[in-house]
Amino acid sequence: MSEHKPRKSPEKKMPKAFGWMAEYQDENNLLVAARKVRDAGYTKTDAFTPFPVHGIDEALGIKPTVLPFIVLSAGLTGLATALLMQWWMNGVDYKYIISGKPFGITPASIPVAFELTVLFSAFTAFLGMIALNNLPKFSNPVFTNPRFDRATNDRFFLYVEAKDKYYNRESVKELLSGTHPDSLDEVIEDTTPSELPRPIILAALLLVVAGLIPAMIILNMRAGFSTSPRFHVFFDMDFQPKKKAQQPTTIFADSRIMRPQVKGTIGRGQLDEQEPFYLGYDPAKMTAIDNKNLSVFVSTQAAKLPDTSAQTPADGSPQTAPMTTPPAMAPGTPALNLPWTEKLPIDANEETMALGKLKFETYCAACHGYAGFGDGLVHKRADSLAQGYWLRPTSMHIDRVRNQPVGQIFHTITKGQGKMASYAASLNPKERWAVVLYVKALQKSRNADIDDVPVDLRSKLDEVKK
Amino acid sequence: MNLNYEKSSIELPDAWRAKSPILLSAGLVCLFIGMGCAFLGSANGEDKSQGFRYLTHSYLANFTFVFSFTIAALFFILVQFLTRAGWSTSIRRLAEILMMMIPYLALLFLPILIPLYWGSSSLYEWNAKDITNSVVASKATFYLSKEFFTLRSVVYFAFWILAATWFFRLSRAQDESGDTELSLVRQKWSGPLIMVFSLVTSFAAFDWLMSIDADWYSTIFGVYLFSGSMMGFFAMMIIISMLLQKAGKVQKLVTVEHFHDMGKFLFGFVMFWSYIAFSQLVLIWYANIPEETIWYQVRLDNGWAVFSYSLIPIHFAIPFLFLMSRHVRRNRIALTVGASWVLFAHWYDMTFLVMPNAGPLEVMPLFGHFLGGVGMLCIFGAMFIQRASGVPLVAMRDPRLPEAMSYTNPIL
Repeated sequence: MSEHKPRKSPEKKMPKAFGWMAEYQDENNLLVAARKVRDAGYTKTDAFTPFPVHGIDEALGIKPTVLPFIVLSAGLTGLATALLMQWWMNGVDYKYIISGKPFGITPASIPVAFELTVLFSAFTAFLGMIALNNLPKFSNPVFTNPRFDRATNDRFFLYVEAKDKYYNRESVKELLSGTHPDSLDEVIEDTTPSELPRPIILAALLLVVAGLIPAMIILNMRAGFSTSPRFHVFFDMDFQPKKKAQQPTTIFADSRIMRPQVKGTIGRGQLDEQEPFYLGYDPAKMTAIDNKNLSVFVSTQAAKLPDTSAQTPADGSPQTAPMTTPPAMAPGTPALNLPWTEKLPIDANEETMALGKLKFETYCAACHGYAGFGDGLVHKRADSLAQGYWLRPTSMHIDRVRNQPVGQIFHTITKGQGKMASYAASLNPKERWAVVLYVKALQKSRNADIDDVPVDLRSKLDEVKK
Repeated sequence: MNLNYEKSSIELPDAWRAKSPILLSAGLVCLFIGMGCAFLGSANGEDKSQGFRYLTHSYLANFTFVFSFTIAALFFILVQFLTRAGWSTSIRRLAEILMMMIPYLALLFLPILIPLYWGSSSLYEWNAKDITNSVVASKATFYLSKEFFTLRSVVYFAFWILAATWFFRLSRAQDESGDTELSLVRQKWSGPLIMVFSLVTSFAAFDWLMSIDADWYSTIFGVYLFSGSMMGFFAMMIIISMLLQKAGKVQKLVTVEHFHDMGKFLFGFVMFWSYIAFSQLVLIWYANIPEETIWYQVRLDNGWAVFSYSLIPIHFAIPFLFLMSRHVRRNRIALTVGASWVLFAHWYDMTFLVMPNAGPLEVMPLFGHFLGGVGMLCIFGAMFIQRASGVPLVAMRDPRLPEAMSYTNPIL
């Protein structure tokens, strides 16, 4: 029992004591005992119950935790992170127009801010709880006593730790005896060996090594080369028994996988293709057309492109788009001599005019402008970007367009022309004709004569002048 | 659990009963002066129809303000039975009294209904003879007709009153008999009733408040109103319990734990309202469709912008931060301050919902509207005293009362 070498003293064999554990049959006894212990001044205490007992915190004298404040600061950090991140990303670093919304912090930033606030708070609450409870703890001396197993079943335990600054082995025992526990045991050190069994260590090592194998294979493949064909995980997805458009086949004698229309059948919408109302020209008269012009009509609706090299300066820098002459209709192009519909097939009245105006302003004005000068918002935006390859939308008021029959304008809307896409999906034929009517009215409005104004309305013009 | 009690401790204070007529007359005077201010105070003095618009809109907003407490009370009762809640038993009777005020408030609804039959369209523009500025109202002539509107309102009130009365009767019967079966019956029916309740209340919100702008619609509007109502209801419950305790009643029965729980609900519904209000805003803001954004446009134009933006601090930030702490919720004075603020915020929200549709923000009509709100609250108080007279303020023989008494909030 040398004081110089306490580690080797025989007392080392005595298990270390951690405190006293009292056992009770019901929660009321526990509460009474806990209050007694609290009133005696002990603070390093704990209770173990099979279910949450109301009032146990107060009976034990547990102080409110600081966790809420930690969570609050984490939540505010999350909020600030989210707002700063979005302000920086969308307002400073990478301004990107999304649906014309403003940059930086917008109402759309709030959900993200909310999410991050909750995320930071939740993680902090969880991890903070773990940390404040000194978890994870793989072993606790209270488990040494087999009676303690009933803490999760039907018994209530009160534990006074030896770490308490007023702890005195005898006086605590006396105090707890006074609360009439079912049993009163000293919590002693677990003397069973604490090393992991060898097979477990071995198995863990094996697992770690096995876990490295996929990573090694991948690294090896990344670094090396292979001549064997690619490995197909889903073979039937990579090679499907089907043919795509334009591919040859051996199934049919003519080797075409796309089948021609069966004779004597009519496809959906095909009947419409016979009517000038749906086409803008009379298909019956098409046979009388010069074949050369017809091929132009069918292929590109336009003749060859103008010589672009003439427009591009020698240094290759892009040039501003030509103002009025679109390339599709450069001088010298043979005029299309097609049987265009000359007469509007719908009634020209207030109603169709209003419809045409509505549709024009919805679909056309974005590029062509409200007055049809080819100066819509899209053009203005593209022009301000000055990227060089933008072609100004056609003005409705140049001679070429003004001289077009209504059928040709209709055809342009239906099939599109140049960069302009087809609007057949957005506008039904009647609406397209109404737009044609409106375009014609726009053109007329720029070239009107006093004779076009009804006599009884001319006096109004003078009023407008004033 | 010892439940011996003085019978007088769970009765309405005698002093209050004497005050009921004073409160009623003060309320009526306030309401009339307020409505007069709204009517005459418009800067556009020539145009009396504008003044009348302020008046009718103000009445609707103030009516909804007090009415929302009662339907929220009904919902609260239904939820307590649906979840077999024990903690709330000692405050449940107060909520039951609140929900039994729905018949009284049905009377206050008449001034909204009757002008429709004069042909007045100042509040509900769809009632005009020739509707010019509303596409929906000119098409939905059957749904938005005064007859069908009246029928729907009658159905709503019938449902609320029947449900509330039945629950109240059973609760009162239990006061006499202490029969557990009476709790089980209510428990059984709370589920189906709550489903009908949510539909009825949503449609009432659509009809009464959303249809003042017939072209605008928001499917979340019913939930919006519900969230604000629940918030206002808990504020009301806290204030009533507080006043009762100050008068020396229900002191042992409504403990700090109950205040804490009501405070938690108050806090929760402040958050819930913000969540719903923002959900409505962000979708409309993002889609940016004129027929939807018009509602916010009205609330941000004509001088309403500052008023509307103030909703964010008044209805969300300030009460949210104030009520966040447990110590505030467990301190009766602080909690009552918070509840009073929230009550004001709820009135502010109702004003935000209704008044911008009446016209531009003008000081006198808005002041009149506020005075009308105070008057309506006084009338509500008088009605509460009337309704609570002769009714024990706590359901003393409810089998769950001991649970409510022994309930404590865990220390975090």
